[in-house]
Amino acid sequence: MAIWTKIITLFRGAAHEAGTAVVDANAMRILDQEVRDAQNALLRSRDDLAKIMAQRKIANDKLNDKKAKQVEYSNYIREALARDNRGLAQEVATKLATIEADIATEAKIIGEYDNSISKLQASSRQAETVITRLKQQIDTVKATESVQRAQAALAAQHAGTGAKLGTALDSLERIKQRQTERAAQLEVADEMAKATGEDTDLQRRLAQAGIVPGESSAESILARFETPAPKALGHDGVPQLDHIAAASKTS
Amino acid sequence: MNTPWTTESLHEALHSDKTVDLEGIELSLIGGVDAIIHITMHEHGDLAMHMAVSGEQIFVSSPLCLASQVKDRNAFNEACLRLNPVNPLSNLGLQDVGGEDLYIVFGELSSRSPLNAVVEEIHALADNTIQAAEAFADHLK
Repeated sequence: MAIWTKIITLFRGAAHEAGTAVVDANAMRILDQEVRDAQNALLRSRDDLAKIMAQRKIANDKLNDKKAKQVEYSNYIREALARDNRGLAQEVATKLATIEADIATEAKIIGEYDNSISKLQASSRQAETVITRLKQQIDTVKATESVQRAQAALAAQHAGTGAKLGTALDSLERIKQRQTERAAQLEVADEMAKATGEDTDLQRRLAQAGIVPGESSAESILARFETPAPKALGHDGVPQLDHIAAASKTS
Repeated sequence: MNTPWTTESLHEALHSDKTVDLEGIELSLIGGVDAIIHITMHEHGDLAMHMAVSGEQIFVSSPLCLASQVKDRNAFNEACLRLNPVNPLSNLGLQDVGGEDLYIVFGELSSRSPLNAVVEEIHALADNTIQAAEAFADHLK
């Protein structure tokens, strides 16, 4: 396709110039103009198509009229012959001959119209495809160019600082660095968790040994009720079992 | 048929549509005659990508590496051409940026694409770029 050649030529033209402009703005305008011309040509051929289709319709109407006449006159001839009026039949037959000649001519013209119509339709479709592709190519070139200009602007910002334009390589480096940091953080967190774990274990053993108060378990609670509290320590000196008995009586 | 996006309307929609998930994606519109959207991918090592809409197309581009970072250009070019067909949704390309050759990973989609397809393209492009950078490690300085 010639489109590719055109696009490549656009780039080739720009390759001579240093700097950021990739596509010669002038060449781009020419290409835009070409698309517009092609679109105008397409509109014109669609007009032609509409005209030919109208003419075909008129020709076809005429043909149908003649065909109706043909049937009508044939009936007249049959009728005249049935009534033995050969002279009248002859006269009608002369007219029918003209009508049949006209029918042949009209049919031929319509066939030619049909031919032109299908040719025009095919070339319109083709032109449409070409225009669509060309427009897509132009869109791509324009979009690419805007992005390229933006990247060039970024590169220019870096130029003064001596830093290079940031690429995926820098990002990859950053990702790896962040992963290392995250791994280190996880390690620290892990160690802290382990240290807390060791503490917990010590606490548990201290509680088991009865050195520090442990968690209340069903057994320890029951033990509290079953073992009478030493009198010296109790506030009221009432044994707990009695206390419970008193409570159950009132309920 | 729905209306095609423009760079501005796409940026606006990405910002205001609450149904799109922009986790880790930072967007900013850089105006001008031909506006572009600057994208920073925080979960992809702050990869800087650019997006622009023109007519029927959305173009998203991501910088892979500078030609000056490549050890052997011929070998790298061949590796790129071989990787390209198996790289889903994205293409590899070469562009002149500010007088320096830049290898890019890019994607194109219709400017009538739904918003979530655009976001998916952004994610896919960032993933592909980082993966390409990893895959090409041996070719790079």
